Order: sequence, then C-alpha cells, then structure tokens
Amino acid sequence: MTPVSTTDGVVYADYQSSKPVDPRVVEAMLPYFGGTFGNAASLHGVGDAATAALDAARARVAAFIGAQPQEIIFTSGATEANNLGIIGYAQRNRRKGDHVVITEAEHISVLNIAKYLEKNGFRVTRAPIDLHGRVSVKKLRARITDETILVSVGWASNEIGTVQPVAEIAELLAGTGVALHSDAVAAEGLVPIDVGAVPVSLLSLSSNDIYGPRGLGALYVRKGVQVAPVLMGGGQERGLRSGTEDLASIAGMAAAADLMAAEMPAEVARLATLRDRLVERVLAEIPDAHLNGHPSERLPNNAHFRFEGVEGEAMVLSLRDEGVAAATGSACSSKTLEPSHTLISCGLLHEEAHGSLEFTFGRFSKSEDVARIMAVLPGVVARLRTLSPLYKTHAPQTEKVGS
Amino acid sequence: MKSTQYSEKTLEHFRNPRNVGTLEGPNVAVGRVGNPVCGDMMDIYIRVTPEDRIEEIRFQTFGCGSAVATSSMVTELVIGMKLDDALKVTRGDVADALDGLPPIKMHCSNLAADALHEAIKNWRAGVKPEDATATPVEKSCHPRPAAVVEVEVANLDAYKGKGVSTRVDDLAELADQRVVVLDTGDRAAQLAIDLTEHTSRVVLMTTGKEPSVSSAVRSALRLSDVKLLTEAQPLELMGEGELERIRVHDLNEDEEYELTADAFVVLE
Repeated sequence: MTPVSTTDGVVYADYQSSKPVDPRVVEAMLPYFGGTFGNAASLHGVGDAATAALDAARARVAAFIGAQPQEIIFTSGATEANNLGIIGYAQRNRRKGDHVVITEAEHISVLNIAKYLEKNGFRVTRAPIDLHGRVSVKKLRARITDETILVSVGWASNEIGTVQPVAEIAELLAGTGVALHSDAVAAEGLVPIDVGAVPVSLLSLSSNDIYGPRGLGALYVRKGVQVAPVLMGGGQERGLRSGTEDLASIAGMAAAADLMAAEMPAEVARLATLRDRLVERVLAEIPDAHLNGHPSERLPNNAHFRFEGVEGEAMVLSLRDEGVAAATGSACSSKTLEPSHTLISCGLLHEEAHGSLEFTFGRFSKSEDVARIMAVLPGVVARLRTLSPLYKTHAPQTEKVGS
Repeated sequence: MKSTQYSEKTLEHFRNPRNVGTLEGPNVAVGRVGNPVCGDMMDIYIRVTPEDRIEEIRFQTFGCGSAVATSSMVTELVIGMKLDDALKVTRGDVADALDGLPPIKMHCSNLAADALHEAIKNWRAGVKPEDATATPVEKSCHPRPAAVVEVEVANLDAYKGKGVSTRVDDLAELADQRVVVLDTGDRAAQLAIDLTEHTSRVVLMTTGKEPSVSSAVRSALRLSDVKLLTEAQPLELMGEGELERIRVHDLNEDEEYELTADAFVVLE
C-alpha cells in the first residue's frame, strides 16, 4: 500500500475527527474528473456512462451495509444524511405523532437537529446513558409513548467509542411502527453493520470515515420508509436529494466501501491490538489515569482517558509540540466552552471531563505509534501536574480500569 | 479562530512557563481565582518587601494553554513592581504582552491579572496563604454560605427504593452503578470506600470544603478511588420513574448543574 505521508512524522492519533483518503480511492476517483464527466440525468451517451457509473457505485455502497441499491441516497455528508433521516422522517410522518427519542450520547449534529425539531413543534426526549456511555434499553423503552414516531441512536459514540445496543433497540421497536434511525459514522468500518441483520429504518454514513473523500455521505432508507426531502430542486436521488450527483466522490466512496469490506477483519484486529497496548500502558505507567467509556463494548480504535489534575487542551497542545496529534473533550477546546456532554452524561464531574484525552487509531497508524505516544505522554502529564494547584500526589500508583 | 490558535509568544510561555511553584516563609500572600469546574484555576504567590515591592512571585495553574501562558506572563510583568503599580496591570495588558489571545479565550482563560490583584488584596488585608487557598475566589462578591449547609432534598421520598436508599445492606446491589453518597460522617465515607470494590464510580458529596470525617477516614478516602465532590448541595432528584440525575447547587460558584447518578445514598 502506498504510505500516507500527510502528517510529516507526526503520530496522528485523531482518526475520529478526520481520516486521510486512501490513495487507492484517489486512483478510483481520477477518471471521473476527465473521461466520465457526464450528468446522469442527460439522455445522450455521455450521460449514460455517468448513469452506469452511478448505478454501479450505489450498488457497491449498498452491499457494504447489506442494503438494496435503491435504498441508498447520496448526500453531501453525514450531517446532511442526519438532517434528511431525522427531519425528513419527522416531517413526513408528523400525522402519526410529534415525539422523537434520541440519546444523551449523540453527536452534536443529531443534538442540534433535535433542537431544531423542538423549535418546530416536535417534542424530543433524550434517553440517558450509563456509567460507560451505553444507553439503557429499559430506560429508552420507558420513554416511548403513543406519540413517538422516531428513535435515533448513534451506532457508537464518536467520542468515547462506546458501541450502543442497536440490535436490541431495533428488536424492541420491531412491529411498533416507531422508526429507528442510526448515525453510524463513528462505527462504520470498525464494527460490522448489516441492515439485514439489524433492521434499522434509516442509517447515516460518511464517506471519509471509511477513507473515502470528504464532502460525501449517504442515507440508507429502508424500502417502504417515507421521508420528505429537506433540499428542493431537480429531483435527483428519488426526489430525496436534489442536485447533480458528485460522481467522482460517489465512485470514491464505492471504492472505499469495497476496500473496507475486504480489509476490515484484519484491520480491526490490528487496531484493537494497538488500542489495547496503549490502554494497558497508560493505566500502568501514568498514575491517576482512568479509561473513559465501556471496557469491552467499545470501538476497536478508541482509547479515551482522563488524567486527574490536568486540563485537556493543555495536554493536546503539549502533545502537539512532541509530535503527537490527539483530541480532548475539554471545554477549553470547544467553541461553546462547554465540556463534552457525553462525559457529563456518563456521570463525570466537570473538572474530570476537562481532563480528558482521546486517541483514535486508523488504517495508517503504525505499530510503533503506541511506543512513540508513551515516550512523551507520561512527561506531558507530569509536567502539567507540576504546574497544577489541583494535583497532589497522594495515592500510591495503582492501576485503575473502567470509568 | 480556533481556540488553540495562539501567538508564538503565548506558546513559548506555555512551553517554558516562568516562576512556577509556591512560596513559603514570611511576607507571602496568595491569590486564588477560577474554579476547576470551569476548567481554569490559578494560585499566585507574592513575597513583598518592606518597600511594598513584589520581590518574588510564583504561580500554579490548572487550565488550558492560555491559562498557563497568562499566569507566566503576569509574573514576568510585575516582578519588582510596587504593589500600587501591579494593581494597575489589567487582563488586557497581559493579553497584549502575549501578542494577543484568541477572542474566545479573552475572558475565560485570562484570569492571571485577577489572581495577582487578589494576592495583593490578601496581602493588604493580612490574609494568610493557607486561608487564601482554602477560600473560594469571589468571597467579596458572593457572601459565603455557612460552613454547614442544611441538606434538604425536596423530593427525596419520591425516589426511595427507586435509586435513593437510606441503608445499604448488600453492596453488590450497587455494582456498576454511579453512586453518590451524601457526606453524613465517617459511616457514609466508609461506605463510599467499601463501594469502590463493587463499582468504579463512587462520589462522596459534601456541602463543606472537606468531608466531615475523622482524620483516619480522611486518609483512607485519599487513598481510595472515591471521588470527592465538595461544596455541593443536592437540591432535587430527577429522572423518569427512577433516579437519573441530581440537581446540585455549586456553593462556590453559586451555580446549579446536574450530576448523572443511578443511586443516591443518604444514611439515616
């Protein structure tokens, strides 16, 4: 495989925020900037070639999640897929009820869609999550009323990596007439997603999260599920997403899906090994460090920690100086200056959420990345603790597992 | 602008902060501002000469890049200064000396001048360092509640058996739960410690600055995985059918927030 050298010797451990496009995907996209440039709506031969390419790509993306080609709607990204899936479904099915249930672990894109729905006459309930960030199916069920039309549960948390019991929730909702939407962006390519096995009604995907181009996503709409468009125009994508299709990106996403399907088993095992080694070493070598999220039901590439007495942005900034790219849920790094809502919902105190640090590995992570992180992380934490009035060494070094 | 888009000078002070540490001995005063809940807290120590000059200065800061850099910068700006002149150093001066701060950081993480002024105020008022660091910041703005605050949770009874318990016979029943134990003395603290064998999340909530426990239990608490939540007054329990959240009054900041919890133990 062509190595990706975008990061100039930096250990990139922030795959949840953005992934490089796989060079093989770029290869697959190139023909669509020159040779196959037609509009799939045109009646001439140039248009026909575009139609054929679009159909083929749609079938490949559908196959990636066990769907039928006509159930895939290409969008400009997962944010738009969430908008179409949640707002489009709610508006189209309003006469059945005005109540939507989401969880407290959702991505901000879903949280803000929920706020939009509330401003537009819908009622939204947020189902709580447990200590490890998992939604309680029992508590979710207790929130479903006769007015509920839609439940939206992210397949996994983009932040702490906890995988949700989506299959169990799908089973709960089966036959009730309540639709289930899942934002699968954090999970795609890391855990198997098969809409045949887990009967969700709607599912959001992002191209970049399987190493495809940014600016493209897809919404899976199960056959028979009614959705209203949120963008009006020429009626492409079965009228659900107007605008001439971005063929190059769509071909890129299809190539990315094929590669992921072929490589996922080996890739996931490799990432889990890296992740486990990092978790083990951090908890063993850095005092007063804790793992956030679920001990086992978590994405294989996600290691999310908190360190007592230090603040997350300061850690990220220091790691940047040491050549490591990581992320934090600290308020000081966010636009709103609020700490991560997911960590607070898990039961952490604000000061603990401020001390969080997230590492996510991916396709181009190297085996030595863990050693390179561990060569600098203990020093970074120790230095910031010497600056901190909050950190007093009191406890003997003990390993702490769990949240 | 990204929150981390700092000037080179800010980054340089973050990387190599000046005057880190604490001061002891005679003629020392401390100013503490911020709150860990908000993500920033700093202590500034000054040693003052008989001529009213800042002879030595040190700081300790919990916070983001700009919190550390502004602390470091203010110590450089005022060392050797007369106290009256040091009082004239503003947040703006500190930010300017760092070649500016990202707009979003101007207010939240630019508290160093305030900490300095607090230290000078404490020096002039004769407040001892140990009292200053045990005292919350906005002492003069928000009158302190009495040391012991009466805890009265309006709807405690409504959640009895649905998350609220007044006795715990079988610790294993709380396995993997987020347990909040109200500080009612040694027995509650010991229960909290014992519970850490069964769940990784045990919070001991107290209205005071320290739990009201004996010194033996206090050291045991320190060595345990119990998370202390001080200056917190439970106000109301929330949740559909079962306890899910506790509305808490932060007595230091005089703000309210919600704490997620599955169980609330208030021993009889």
